[in-house]
Amino acid sequence: MSVHIVVCVKAVPSTTEVKMDPKTNTIVRDGRASVVNPFDATALELALRIKDEAAGKPVRVTVLSMGIPDTARLLRDCIARGADAGLLLSDRAFAGADTLATTYALTCGIDALDEPVDLVVCGKMAVDGDTAQIGPELGGALDIPCIADVQELLGVEDGVLRARRATDGGRELVEVALPAVITVAKDAAQLRMPSIAGVLAAQDAEVEVRTAAEVGADTARTGLSGSPTQVVRSFVPERTHEATAIEGTVAQQADRLAELIEEVLR
Amino acid sequence: MVDILPLSAEYEAYLRDESRSSGTADSISFPRDEEEIRSVLQTLRTAAPRGGVPAPVTVQGARTGLAAGAVPAGGHVMNLARANRYLGLRQDDAGTYYLRVQPGVILSELRRHLANKTLPVDGWDAESLAALDKLYAGPEQFFPTDPTEASACLGGMAACNASGARSYRYGPMRGHVSALHVVLADGDVIAVRRGENRAQGRHLALTTESGRTLELDLPTYTMPCTKNASGYFIEDDMDAIDLFIGSDGTLGIISELEIILAAVPAVVWGMSCFFEDERAALDFTVAARPKLPRAAAFEYFDAKALDILRVQRKNSTAFASLPELDAAWACCVYVELEADDEATALNDLALLGKLLRDHGGSDRATWVARTDTDRETQRFFRHAVPESVNMLIDERRKTDPAITKLGSDMSVPDERLREVMDLYRTTLAEAGLDSAAWGHIGNNHLHVNVLPRNAQDYAAGKELFVRWARAVTDMGGAVSAEHGVGKLKRDFLTVMYGPEHIAQMAALKRQLDPYCQLGRGNLFDPNVCEGGA
Amino acid sequence: MSGLVVDRELCIGCGRCVRACASGGIELVWEGPRKFAQATDACVFCGSCVDACPVDAIEIAKDGPASAGDLASYRDFWVFAQVDAAGHVLPVAFELLGRARTLADARGCRLVALLGEGPAAPADNVDALIRAGADEVIVCRDERLSSLDAEVFAQWICSLARERKPEVILYGATAFGRELAPGVAVRLQTGLTADCTVLELDPATGLLQQTRPAFGGNLMATIVCPAHRPQMATVRPGVFAAPAPDSERIGAVSEVALDAALTSRVRVLEVEPAHDAASVADAERLVVVGRGIGSKKSLPLMRKLADLLGAELGCTRPLVEAGWLEYRHQVGQTGASVAPELLISVGVSGAIQHLAGIGGAKTVIAINDDPEAPIFGAAQYKVVGDCIEVVQALVERLEAK
Repeated sequence: MSVHIVVCVKAVPSTTEVKMDPKTNTIVRDGRASVVNPFDATALELALRIKDEAAGKPVRVTVLSMGIPDTARLLRDCIARGADAGLLLSDRAFAGADTLATTYALTCGIDALDEPVDLVVCGKMAVDGDTAQIGPELGGALDIPCIADVQELLGVEDGVLRARRATDGGRELVEVALPAVITVAKDAAQLRMPSIAGVLAAQDAEVEVRTAAEVGADTARTGLSGSPTQVVRSFVPERTHEATAIEGTVAQQADRLAELIEEVLR
Repeated sequence: MVDILPLSAEYEAYLRDESRSSGTADSISFPRDEEEIRSVLQTLRTAAPRGGVPAPVTVQGARTGLAAGAVPAGGHVMNLARANRYLGLRQDDAGTYYLRVQPGVILSELRRHLANKTLPVDGWDAESLAALDKLYAGPEQFFPTDPTEASACLGGMAACNASGARSYRYGPMRGHVSALHVVLADGDVIAVRRGENRAQGRHLALTTESGRTLELDLPTYTMPCTKNASGYFIEDDMDAIDLFIGSDGTLGIISELEIILAAVPAVVWGMSCFFEDERAALDFTVAARPKLPRAAAFEYFDAKALDILRVQRKNSTAFASLPELDAAWACCVYVELEADDEATALNDLALLGKLLRDHGGSDRATWVARTDTDRETQRFFRHAVPESVNMLIDERRKTDPAITKLGSDMSVPDERLREVMDLYRTTLAEAGLDSAAWGHIGNNHLHVNVLPRNAQDYAAGKELFVRWARAVTDMGGAVSAEHGVGKLKRDFLTVMYGPEHIAQMAALKRQLDPYCQLGRGNLFDPNVCEGGA
Repeated sequence: MSGLVVDRELCIGCGRCVRACASGGIELVWEGPRKFAQATDACVFCGSCVDACPVDAIEIAKDGPASAGDLASYRDFWVFAQVDAAGHVLPVAFELLGRARTLADARGCRLVALLGEGPAAPADNVDALIRAGADEVIVCRDERLSSLDAEVFAQWICSLARERKPEVILYGATAFGRELAPGVAVRLQTGLTADCTVLELDPATGLLQQTRPAFGGNLMATIVCPAHRPQMATVRPGVFAAPAPDSERIGAVSEVALDAALTSRVRVLEVEPAHDAASVADAERLVVVGRGIGSKKSLPLMRKLADLLGAELGCTRPLVEAGWLEYRHQVGQTGASVAPELLISVGVSGAIQHLAGIGGAKTVIAINDDPEAPIFGAAQYKVVGDCIEVVQALVERLEAK
């Protein structure tokens, strides 16, 4: 039995450390190239391990993303590391999407793939958004079960996936019949580096780039138009108050700190 | 006014450096600028008994050196870690940027400030600030010298003419320093700028700030044509600045540097290539060097080094995130490629893949780092090698505390690479010593580390190193290629240049530092320095 | 047409919007003699430029409401009450009821708690929810709700919401809440805001204004869901205070049944309870360390400080990402929210996402070498200096005692 895995990846800024310009109180752009969301990198590694361990049985890994045209570069890098194909959904109509509109677009992308999908692997969250919503929303949209926050993937056998996931109370060992969605913790694995052969082969691989119309997406449900939520205000948080400074030499500061701690804990 | 403090228990750490050897001292100071450096020297002179010799002064930076150059030999420790300000920036007509810094600026901090565009600009003049605006608006800049220990400071790096993996392409620190302020032992200052003062043959005239002219006779030796950090840089018609770079803190105290920045290359890719045996790795390196002109580094890790790493990876959680090494491969050559665009880099990559296949490797079993995350993984891998060997030695020291790692730092000319490797392997096998080797194979410069199991091994290793120093000298190589001579390798320096040339070096030093105060014990035995023995 | 719209009559070409944009989503273009702002393809509609514009020339325009149905028919605030392994309602549910009580009163609507539990659940959950402010508790007792299966719970909540049309549903941002809420949102095709730190009502429209950190915590974003119902948000435990229980309160109880066709599709084979390791979330004393401590080598010193104070050791996200400490030490938006008596913050710069997690701390003493570090805005006492030196000296003092 062949297994088709779709790994959803997002391009995120290479650093979430955004610098503020103290003079203008605005964000200083650093202009660095975007990277694959680190959680999604782990998702890809888990998918590739399923492929490694399939021992002869065909496993196909497709990387799927919604983003600007430059994101194709990142999908090609995923192929260099072992993915078989890439599909990039790129269209102005996708821009400004919240999680619901993103989920819809990804669902259209999945439906547009040639082969039916057995397993969708997502990073648990994106480092630039931290919402952790896409995986569970995809499960609902595709009407397949979702296992969130997978810490350890134990394998896929005869169409059944086993994994250990984090819960509020600890961890659970669970199993689910495919098709299913899983979202993965960043520490679950470390994405392998590509090989020279992989990098060279990926140059000739095709990363499909499709518009909303090409994947049959209703643009009323994509991008800004399809997003129920909207940002009404972004603001730089203000300092609430001034702290009392403890001054002097290091020794004096330490003396005062020791006193203070004693006062507080009394 | 800067304090001269008694070297109490509080400052005990300043008696040691990364070489793990320890010295003694009576006092310590932390001057913050050139004025304070001079004031400390002045105070020490005044304190000397009438007609007596002022206290020796050992200059320290970040104490990351491996040759004990910063370990005091009595007297005073002058630690420059607090002289760590950024002083200004200029751009020349060709567009190159020159950054003026104090010696205590830490390399990793400099890198961070350049990458994040956060150079501290306190006290900068308008011209510097204008240059900085241009620098930030343009392509990202970096400082090319990359010693493994990025917590090194720039003054220390200049003092020992530091190198790193990328020195294969960029050379050592020397070429990236355009000007220096050097405080002499008597407190006078020499300002040298590259291109402004050259020797006449082996005669160099230096004028100090106070207007004194020093007429220096330079030693007569010929330096080897290899990567070299052994003794003073001396050649006919040499630039004055080169005398001070790599002088191991023995001629003067660097109080200010102007360093040359370079634009970050558009593409930097790092490739770890694996081989079944050392012969294949050497042949590959020899074949690849001329074919990959854009290579910035060739680094080697031998089978024993990788084996130790494999064990530590299993045993230590700190190394658990290292990528797994396939047991099929014995040793590794890391190649770093730079290019102006991806297409060029891809061509080089294809060529590298072919060279690898030609030498029994597989282009599938390789690691290519093209992203920051992957580069960090590879960097972690490379740095984990020496760290895991240190852990092994620390383990052995529990049974015999006298044991330390013995690390060599010798280089030879290109055509001698196979020969020197044969020498290392044969002599190590004959002596029955445990070893691990890694380092800058592109420059035929390996750190061969003897890993003693007991005191006998340790003694045998030391003997072996002297033997290697002779053989390497005969091959036209250098006994210290990057760590400097410091206190630990001065015997090798004598092997390399002979007593007569050492005496010439000492005579040169005495012209600048008549009481042999500075860097006592570095390069020469103190007796030799004082003209005795 | 939806998008970022610049009113060229108003735009003065000052470029403030360009500087405010973190994504290169707006640029200045010349047209004839004048410069105008214009959105680029990189615009992510974050609204930073809208705020930065001094002449109100920029707006994010959207096509008319795409929602079906009559918004006015949606009423009431709902709070999902998650239970723990022993069946007791989690504190975050009471915290949410406390905040939602105020909002529901302002909105003039009822506050409803949703309680799904197994047949063997403790008997006092319903009363506890009413005492915390609920006007009504909708309770479903069913074997299929005795374990937390996000799909089963989502289907249950969706069927209730379709029938009863709540205006707002709030969830605790627990692991389960973060999995459940998106499952509800996608099935009801409505919006969901994760990890809010502020919930308010827009006095003009009555919309729920949900504020959360964005851009690594350097910006706060206020989000609304104008044309879809219910409006939904998750909120981290510890952000709001739980109200004191009011034993006089009375409320209605509606028992509902679970759709017979619903079954779990995920099989739980084993449950491993969390180790009883002391948790930073419950600690009365905390030492929280950030990247300012320089290197992993400084951790033993910090542990020593924590030990001397009988405190737990917490850290910021970058330290977890760098592998210095495990995730369970992480304090902040994506880690634990903490509420200790004393928090000593060492080398923490204080990104908003971190500050969001320490709002409950009574006394914060912050040590950092950057006098401008935002952490000082959240501290009662500050030491500007080398945090290693200061901690070393402090440890010596404490050891001497």
